[in-house]
Amino acid sequence: MSTTQEPLFSATAIAKNFGGVQALRGVDFDVVTGEIHALLGQNGAGKSTLVKILNGVHPAGSYTGTIQLDGRPVSFASPADARSNGVGYVPQEIEVLEQLSVAENVFAGRTGLGDGMLVHQRKLEQRAGEIFADLGIDINPRAYVASLTSAQRHLVIIARAIVQKPRVLMLDEPTASLSGTEVDALFSVLRRLKAQGVAMIYITHRLPEVLAICDRATVLRDGQVAVRIAREDFDAETFIFSMSGQRLQRLFPEHSAPVGAPTALDVRHLTVAGHSGAVHGARDINLSVAAGEIVGLAGLLGSGRSEILHGIYGRVPADGEIRVTGRTVSIRSPRDARAAGIALLTEDRKRDGLLFNLPVGANITIGNLAPLSRHGMVRGRLERSSILAAMSALNVKASSPQASVTHLSGGNQQKLLFARVLMRAPKVLLLDEPTKGVDAATRHEIYRLVVELAEKGVGLLIVASEIEELIGLCDRCLVVADGRIVDEFGRGEGGEDRVLWSVTAAQAERHALAAQVSS
Amino acid sequence: MNSVAEVSSPPRNAQLFRRRLIGFIAVGEVGVLAAMALLIAFFWLLEPAFLSERNIRAILNVVSFVGIIAIGQTILLVTGEFDLSVGSVAGLSAVVAAKLMTAAALPVTVGILGGIGVGALIGLLNGLIVVRLGIPAFIQTLGMLFIGQGLIQVVTGGYPVYPLPEAINTIGGTDFAFGLGWSFAFFVIAAVVADFVLRRTVLGRNMYATGGNQEVAHLVGINTNAYKIGAFIVVGALSAIAGMFVMADLGSGGTSIGSGWELTVIAGVVVGGVSLFGGAGTVAGGVVGILLLKIVQSGLVVIGVNSNWQQIAVGVIMVMAVGLDIVRRRYFIAGA
Repeated sequence: MSTTQEPLFSATAIAKNFGGVQALRGVDFDVVTGEIHALLGQNGAGKSTLVKILNGVHPAGSYTGTIQLDGRPVSFASPADARSNGVGYVPQEIEVLEQLSVAENVFAGRTGLGDGMLVHQRKLEQRAGEIFADLGIDINPRAYVASLTSAQRHLVIIARAIVQKPRVLMLDEPTASLSGTEVDALFSVLRRLKAQGVAMIYITHRLPEVLAICDRATVLRDGQVAVRIAREDFDAETFIFSMSGQRLQRLFPEHSAPVGAPTALDVRHLTVAGHSGAVHGARDINLSVAAGEIVGLAGLLGSGRSEILHGIYGRVPADGEIRVTGRTVSIRSPRDARAAGIALLTEDRKRDGLLFNLPVGANITIGNLAPLSRHGMVRGRLERSSILAAMSALNVKASSPQASVTHLSGGNQQKLLFARVLMRAPKVLLLDEPTKGVDAATRHEIYRLVVELAEKGVGLLIVASEIEELIGLCDRCLVVADGRIVDEFGRGEGGEDRVLWSVTAAQAERHALAAQVSS
Repeated sequence: MNSVAEVSSPPRNAQLFRRRLIGFIAVGEVGVLAAMALLIAFFWLLEPAFLSERNIRAILNVVSFVGIIAIGQTILLVTGEFDLSVGSVAGLSAVVAAKLMTAAALPVTVGILGGIGVGALIGLLNGLIVVRLGIPAFIQTLGMLFIGQGLIQVVTGGYPVYPLPEAINTIGGTDFAFGLGWSFAFFVIAAVVADFVLRRTVLGRNMYATGGNQEVAHLVGINTNAYKIGAFIVVGALSAIAGMFVMADLGSGGTSIGSGWELTVIAGVVVGGVSLFGGAGTVAGGVVGILLLKIVQSGLVVIGVNSNWQQIAVGVIMVMAVGLDIVRRRYFIAGA
């Protein structure tokens, strides 16, 4: 690709902050006609913020810097505005209308084809068929989307973006839910679009795909461009180095792995089903956590790391053997897991953490009322005093146990949930993204709490997207990729780059395997 | 207005007063009780006969029947489900009990237990189908409404079951005080017990959790399915009891017992601040809501409003009550 070509779509000196947090600090980015430009970076590097600015989710005026299309400055008020200017976006989550046909999905919102109120069913099918033929997609336009696989759905979404003949197309982790052969099918579609002169921005975590299909790559780190690399200089090592790089040092409390401590949690041959039809799950997981040990599960989003926690906790059906402090336990529901001494802090506070209909106090004691009651009646004074004790132990700042949880800060909500799971003094604590969406001060409180619990002999298994957090906090890290544990290393034996290397190696292996099978 | 006194007092006191007032209004039942007091005053001023002994007795008598069902419906709504078949179940249980006592010539106790059994069984069925098969409660219980009405006709052949054993007439005719009998006594006791269970017991707290967010409740180890099925059974059994009290009151197993109650009950408890989306509301609130609706209906009759307008009033009040509740939540609870 000649880099001297005039950029079709460019962003200059883009800066954006969210309530004092600088998400982007002066990013320059551009894409030329017929180019696939990879946008890389760790979670929190600013990729999604940049994409949201480029497609109008964050409207003009909410950021600083300029965007140009064809050399003319543009400002998008909304994603629809961006679309009508020829900038399309394929989101990571597959948003389809299951009850409608493929053709209707492709033309969703435009089923009148621009002339009147009626839906021209046959014309829609014909046009969708033409688009599919053009892209080499083999899907019947009359089929119902409900009958499609997730890979086919993704192609439908891409076709939907293509209908408006975008000149720039942004693809957000398009392979996140695809298997190896499905990735190849997607790539052949992207190559055809490229030949038609569409400029593409390809957001991904997966280096083998960048090496396979992209012409240029920009790596973001801490809201800035870390490096911009042309295809001829592509090299996995460079990518990994520039993605991890040197970030702001965080202080982690001192902790060392206990020596000769008994095993708190022992998992053998655990296989976990994926969530509602998703391909991801976890297969044949073996791991153990000693009492007082902090173990991290590192891996990319969708690697199966959360599924492992959910499988152990009985939230999703799982097969395998689980032992807690040496005793084999049968876990078929969260209730069983709790009885066995396992506790789980879920990732999504709003969706499966807090009860918004109950006040702060009842949110802490829910599920823990047995010791606070007599003959099934809650002992009000005892409950109140134990709530106050839990709130002060974890430094939960709320005006009273009667206060609503809605208005607590993210950090206080998280500490409240910690108070809930710790009330039963678990032997094994599973933490899914314990510092997600909390402020820096609370983050440190949580680190200290984790170490304190370990020192009391609790076995901790932690999932976190920020790899450096796991490296700093954990005595041992297990690397998860595609539902398997692919690497393991102790404190001081590796950093962020080791995790990225092992994930990349595992993906490359699978990619090669899939290519072998399909050829 | 006494607002002059408020204005002249020091600002700190005024603020304190304001905060107390807001705190007071934020308590769910206060709004409904205040509205009820206003309505009573309004009807009484227009027609003093509204507060006659006879009229009060009539209102409380009617409330005791639907109120028994409202208790169950409140519990079910708190766990995040609802039941449209309560009227049909009340009617069906009444005629089944009446048939057992007359055609089958079984003892009165067996007849009553049979009636309660029918109600509990339908509740169990509703609960199992909603929870295990995932059919929405709206569809399942609407279906059960029709099934129940059909079964009433099948059981009775379209004719009221009459005459009933003397014991039933005695239950219906008992007058403890002020013309109020067994049904009112049962209603009051059941309401107090249910209110206590929801407010003070682990069972109640787990129900609020289940209705607030089923996934969270499941994750903290609550058997949410069992709670929901249990609540359906309670509604069924209470509907049956209400239906049989009406039967005792009428002295006959009429085929129209319970007809149309489902909407009255839901409208009433919603007026009383019970959320249709689960996890919020109290039995006290639900019961007061029903009382308020019946006061309006009776008041309109007493002041001589055409009966068509009474229905319109019920509709307007329900929508207004929910609207006010939303406003109350937004400004008094969220803002406090």
